[in-house]
Amino acid sequence: MLDAFSAPYMQRALVEIALLAVLAGVLGAWIVLRRLAFFTHSVGTATFPGLVVAGPWGIAPQLAALIAALGFAGARERLARGREGEEDAATGILLVGALALGALLASDVYRSGAGVDRLLFGTLIGLSGRDLALTALAAALALAADAALRRAWLARAFDPDGARALGVAVAWPERILLAAVAGAVIVALAAVGALLVSVVLVVPAATVRLLARDVRTLQLGTGALAAVEGVAALWLADGLNVSPGPAMAVLGGAVFALVALLTRGRS
Amino acid sequence: MSAPLVRTEELSGGYRPGTDALTGVTFAAEAGEVVAILGPNGGGKSTLFRALLGELPQRRGTVELAGRPAYVPQTERARLDFPVSALDVALMGAYGRTPWYRRLARADRAAARAALARVGLEAEAGERFGALSGGQRQRVLIARALVQDAPVLLLDEPLSGVDAPSAARIEALFEELRGEGRALLVATHDVRQARSWQRVLCLHGRQIAYGDPAAVLTPDVLQATYGAELVVLGDGSTAIAVEHHEH
Repeated sequence: MLDAFSAPYMQRALVEIALLAVLAGVLGAWIVLRRLAFFTHSVGTATFPGLVVAGPWGIAPQLAALIAALGFAGARERLARGREGEEDAATGILLVGALALGALLASDVYRSGAGVDRLLFGTLIGLSGRDLALTALAAALALAADAALRRAWLARAFDPDGARALGVAVAWPERILLAAVAGAVIVALAAVGALLVSVVLVVPAATVRLLARDVRTLQLGTGALAAVEGVAALWLADGLNVSPGPAMAVLGGAVFALVALLTRGRS
Repeated sequence: MSAPLVRTEELSGGYRPGTDALTGVTFAAEAGEVVAILGPNGGGKSTLFRALLGELPQRRGTVELAGRPAYVPQTERARLDFPVSALDVALMGAYGRTPWYRRLARADRAAARAALARVGLEAEAGERFGALSGGQRQRVLIARALVQDAPVLLLDEPLSGVDAPSAARIEALFEELRGEGRALLVATHDVRQARSWQRVLCLHGRQIAYGDPAAVLTPDVLQATYGAELVVLGDGSTAIAVEHHEH
């Protein structure tokens, strides 16, 4: 079994899985506690047009993805302004728009061909040193932000109405959380693509959420599960000759369904 | 006469420019007073609390407070699926005085345990918040406010829908807090309870009346406060028919 991981590209994949597991553990917990799963998925999808143009324009995919994500965030804010409770509708409209724009650019403008699969689903086995460095940087920043702001994030997530009355700053820690999630999405794109970032940043946390009794356990458990699922998916993908990202999605979904079934009816 | 811990003068405001949810509120609460805030749903009780907390987007008039007030939300609005214990929630009361770069002090943990003991939940400190009864959750939220050690407490319907032992414990605690020289503003629909406290403030989008319960709680004032929600019982007394709703 270990032979499967002996190639340099597989070892880079293992390092990336370990780094993504840190992001999944630290930020995934807050994503599910703050109910940001749809936001996370939509930021990933919104980067698709940016990823399509990055190659032809000769710019780094992460930079193009960042610009697309910022455009998405600005448009979402503008669409949802003054329409409390309708943020998801605005997000949904923009998400469909981003997918359509990306598909149009890929098929009719830049003729991206088979490369589209890689943009949508990523590839754990084709990562560069820069990809790993960016993920490591994002993981370090996420750990630092969590250490500094976890009380503010916890108070806000538990009691949105009462957090300010506790004397806790709410607005700027919230912005940092959203920025951290967006950053995690962008560095995860190379490995899992625009459509599967939730497989790393949401699904493991949602699974452990069914079992964890405190936030620390949720974070540690999520990191461990994301790492195990990632390695298992990589091994399965190698053995079955399929793409690692979708293998991780199927495995993560199956584990979530199993845990949900086993914990059904628990208070 | 001591200086009031809370004082407002012609306080008005709302959530959007040009649309007031509450107008003309002038009252003062001194140390050791429990003030009942009576009014129908949408009558301005929560708006008043938002204004006192400095969170109302549009606010006019004067607000004077002896310090940052502690706020106790309705327990039915708390997230029951959240992975926190009763002790974790009580400890949140210390967050405001702990800089982001410091760990919570041992004294804060002791204060949180003492606050839980004070509301009768010492043994439940490790229980998951969502697994507690409604009355116990309300007491945990009050314990969180006790850890804040604020001179003024704002309580949003703390006795609504709680079990009898919890209600008795909370009412006894109000007396203790009065004795410590704090002021409590309690949003409620219970006129009987309001009669047992020191002051009553009646709201219906505006201030209807403020003062001693005996002078304020007349049928005319209650009619102006509750309108169609006021029910006259067979013995001539009144009751409030309140429909609870999601905010």
